[in-house]
Amino acid sequence: MKIYESAVRKPIMTALVFVGVIILGLFSLRNLPVDLMPDIDMNVLMVVTTYQGASAADIETNVTRPLENVLNTVPNLKELTSFSRENRSIVMLHFEFGKDLDELTNDVRDKLNLVQAMLPDAAEDPVIMKFSADMIPVIMLSATADKSIPALYRILDDNVANRLARIEGVGAASIAGAPQREIHVYVDPIKMEAHRLTVEVLAQKIGAENLNVPAGSMDIGNETFSLRVQGEFTDPNQINNIIVGSFAGKPIYLSDVATVVDGFEERAQENYTNGVQGAMIVVQKQSGANTVEIANEVMKALPEIQKNLPPDVKLEVINDTSDNIKKTIAGLEETVLLAFLFVMIVVLFFLGRWRASIIIILTIPVSLIASFIYLYATGGSLNVISLSSLSIAIGMVVDDAIVVLENITTHIERGSRPKSAAVHATNEVSLSIVASTLTLIAVFFPLTLVTGFAGILFKELGWIVTIIMTTSLICAMTLIPMMSAHMLRLDRNPTKLTLKIYGPIQRFLDKLDILYAQLVNWTVRNRAKTLILTTLFFFASLVPMITVGTEFFPASDGGFISARVELPIGTQMEITKDLAMKLTNKWKEENPEIEMISFNVGQASSFNIFGSLQASGSNIFSANIRMVELNKRSVSVYELIEKIQKELDVLPEVAKYNVSTGQGGMMMGGQSQLAIEIYGYDFKETDRIARELQTRLDNNIPGLSNTQVSREEYVPEYQVDFDRDKLALHGLNIATASIFLKNRINGLIASLYREDGEEYMVRISYDPRYRQSLADVENILIYNNQGQAIRIKDVGTVVERFTPPTIERKDRQRVVTVSATISGTTMDKAVAAIQGEIDKIDIPSEIIVDIGGAYEDQQETFADLGLLFIIIVLLVYIVMASQFESLTYPFIIMFSVPFGISGVVLIMWLTGGTLNLMSFIGLIMLVGIVVKNGIVLVDYINLNRERGMGIIRAVVAGGRSRLRPVLMTTATTIFGMLPLALSQSEGSEMWRPMALTVIGGLTVSTILTLLVVPVFYSLAAAIGVRRQSKKMAKKFAPENQQAMSY
Amino acid sequence: MKAVFIHFDQAHKDDVIRILDKYMVHGFTLWDNTQGRGTRNGEPHYGSHAWPSLNNSIMTVVENDMVSKLKTALKELDEISPMLGLRVFVLNVEDVY
Repeated sequence: MKIYESAVRKPIMTALVFVGVIILGLFSLRNLPVDLMPDIDMNVLMVVTTYQGASAADIETNVTRPLENVLNTVPNLKELTSFSRENRSIVMLHFEFGKDLDELTNDVRDKLNLVQAMLPDAAEDPVIMKFSADMIPVIMLSATADKSIPALYRILDDNVANRLARIEGVGAASIAGAPQREIHVYVDPIKMEAHRLTVEVLAQKIGAENLNVPAGSMDIGNETFSLRVQGEFTDPNQINNIIVGSFAGKPIYLSDVATVVDGFEERAQENYTNGVQGAMIVVQKQSGANTVEIANEVMKALPEIQKNLPPDVKLEVINDTSDNIKKTIAGLEETVLLAFLFVMIVVLFFLGRWRASIIIILTIPVSLIASFIYLYATGGSLNVISLSSLSIAIGMVVDDAIVVLENITTHIERGSRPKSAAVHATNEVSLSIVASTLTLIAVFFPLTLVTGFAGILFKELGWIVTIIMTTSLICAMTLIPMMSAHMLRLDRNPTKLTLKIYGPIQRFLDKLDILYAQLVNWTVRNRAKTLILTTLFFFASLVPMITVGTEFFPASDGGFISARVELPIGTQMEITKDLAMKLTNKWKEENPEIEMISFNVGQASSFNIFGSLQASGSNIFSANIRMVELNKRSVSVYELIEKIQKELDVLPEVAKYNVSTGQGGMMMGGQSQLAIEIYGYDFKETDRIARELQTRLDNNIPGLSNTQVSREEYVPEYQVDFDRDKLALHGLNIATASIFLKNRINGLIASLYREDGEEYMVRISYDPRYRQSLADVENILIYNNQGQAIRIKDVGTVVERFTPPTIERKDRQRVVTVSATISGTTMDKAVAAIQGEIDKIDIPSEIIVDIGGAYEDQQETFADLGLLFIIIVLLVYIVMASQFESLTYPFIIMFSVPFGISGVVLIMWLTGGTLNLMSFIGLIMLVGIVVKNGIVLVDYINLNRERGMGIIRAVVAGGRSRLRPVLMTTATTIFGMLPLALSQSEGSEMWRPMALTVIGGLTVSTILTLLVVPVFYSLAAAIGVRRQSKKMAKKFAPENQQAMSY
Repeated sequence: MKAVFIHFDQAHKDDVIRILDKYMVHGFTLWDNTQGRGTRNGEPHYGSHAWPSLNNSIMTVVENDMVSKLKTALKELDEISPMLGLRVFVLNVEDVY
């Protein structure tokens, strides 16, 4: 018994199987986490090797190169870059996407074992670090305070950070911008010198006084008591009373030579939100944890946390990454619902019957829900990809159902009882719906096999659409006949209401049928004219191609800007802070779109995990700007970025800046970055070319902004050059001398002061007054073993020097990168212009200049997709050829594909879109979608011919009879995509090009397919008939007949 | 005794058997998936791509007075949906055992 036969015979089983699927699917949906993107394994490993005391060039030769030579052989490696700077070598390994990072880590570790022996003895063992998307903070909170500023760090640490870190999935909650308490002992070098005291001695004395010592236990009477000395300071002021020495029989108290200040660590980062000082709390997730869940938990905990804080401490959210995710997903959910609604309307429009429409529409939820089971089973999530896949599939799942239902209706109208009509009608079309579903699967299944960057994006899309299409096929062959058998009735006398509503539509569609039949009749009789006209149209439609640009990935507007502004190196924090204050206030005033702006300034302490990952320094401030919601503003994030960039451009005190959409980082959204890589060993030459290129890009190419040269400028610093002979003369060595220097300027941690279970550092250093000039450094006293005091200026000189910058390498060659952001032009134009500028620069033969960055990714991905396109076209051809058992017909149908391309070019031209990754995918999908129309048409024309019609009559009648199903399936697909193309919600920028591609391509291709396929068919069929008759004539020619009859 | 040879579109199968049951015609032989086409305007029933429908054929042997009743009932059925097709041929039966 065939599957549809048993489905009709056993309606209860069929219905309950589908009910079961729906229940399972809804259960899966309830448990599906929400995320922005499918789980992406990061593909970068970092090998860090420390070699104290080596210069950048030494590191490059002795550490980085041997490492690179060995690591280069690790399998699956895509790119090898390295940074050699003073004391440290960092080798970054970029792997192909989608590989198991743990396995790669093991490979790298094996290779490192090989190379370890070759590294200098003094170099430490290389450490492997993983890069991951989890480092991107989930939530950034700001805490502003007024009176509580001094204790802010502790308040936040106790009440906020610790509380948040307890939330499941939170990896770290770190506080930036709240200075930590520190007890300073500021010594007066002159008094110290008078008493022959040193910082080291003071530290020792403080350490010796700040002790708790257990003294054992003693028995008193029948009991045992333990004895201890509680010598620790209970008040920082007690440090003042320590006796540090004696002079002429009188004790010298610490207060005689130093002052104790209970204050904050020096050189801390400061944070301001909307102009009010406070701190920033950064919440990062554990790897694999769900961003939205964590953010929800954090948000839930915040009101309670706020209650426990002092009244002047206010918590505010700076950036909640889950917000963007939630909005994007909500927008997409709306899109899916709208698509569902549109498809319903289209089905009703064409069918005009409630029962039939309901049967067809029912396939949509059933098929979609089946994909949730897949997602749940494979640990997927509701994300941009999976939801868009649903939206894409909605218009296509009804196609099979429509074909089946239409045939069942025909059978019922011919007089069959619904039950037998359902079985026989399904039987008739089963082969053709299997074939048309197979062509779609031939398009989407290969997407699951794509590797690289595109693979991550489209694996899930491929699987989901494949699963949905398969389910819809099963539905069309079981659920639809079953329901038709029980629900469809022969409706000979429609009610007045139906007639009134549906009458005009019916008349319109009938008229359309007749018009189309006349048109086809004309075209097949004027084949040459039709072909010339359509060919002309095809080439004319390609003309706008010149104006359509390409880019890699559509930029999206997340409403978040991060800006890093650098002043000249060495600028004091106060000055940087003033500028930051001035600028942020100005931005906030001038741009009402800005909802909140916060910035931090200064050197991040080493305890601050998040801060230490970013560039920080007294001359740098980084600002985070959050804009109001997308639909409440008219200014896009890019326009604001450009405005800010323009303002920064004219400020003379700004040395360097970087303003970008700080979301997602490497892949999603953001504007495209172009990187021009200059390979060459010679620093001077490459520097020259890089600078020249930078000026040329700035001056000659419009539409590029934010050009930067990766190699930093030479950094000025003071160095103390010790004279070894003089040091030796005084019985000193460099190590002793430099430690003395460090203890006085940077300070020496003498002990830890404990209060309420917290530990604070007691740091001894020169009073700030005595470390403000070079003379202060030169006057520092060093004591040797004989107790003699020697000034630094007697054994060395203080000089200003420039340290060489970090040496960057890529694929084992030194490289300088000039990067630029594309805004206001398209990638292909920018690349062409840049290439022109490069050609004008005088470049020696040993230096190679390459354009990389997003352009490189684009080229790679487009090459991959181009190959995929060809494979898919071949696969679709194979499926069609096997269905028709002919090599000609599929070829005829394939003529719809070039017209699809015409449509894509036209719609891109009309809407000002660009060709990017997403539209390319749309184009690939188009191959499967447009040929479906051809299949339906050719299949029916063939049928007519088998029934004995002549070629032209078969074509005209076939076209007329298939017009409605073709229009209907096309309309469902187009209207299903429409919400995706029109959506204004967050993240919609990403899918718009794809939806537009499909809509444009399918519209143009359908119209032309309906005209051209009949023409080509009649041509091919005529040739076939002529050949056949020639063959026959030959076979039955008199001489042959004789031979045959012996 | 007459043999009634009925050919019809397989969609009629359930109805034809119900008619036979109604007239208490107990014995018959049924051939599934038979092919054929009508003399005048009957659509071919070939089970092919172009003509996907198929016939069933039933041969039953009944008493003489039953023939006209059966014929009328089957004719009525055919007239409800003339597009499907149903024909009845009555033959003489020489002998049975």
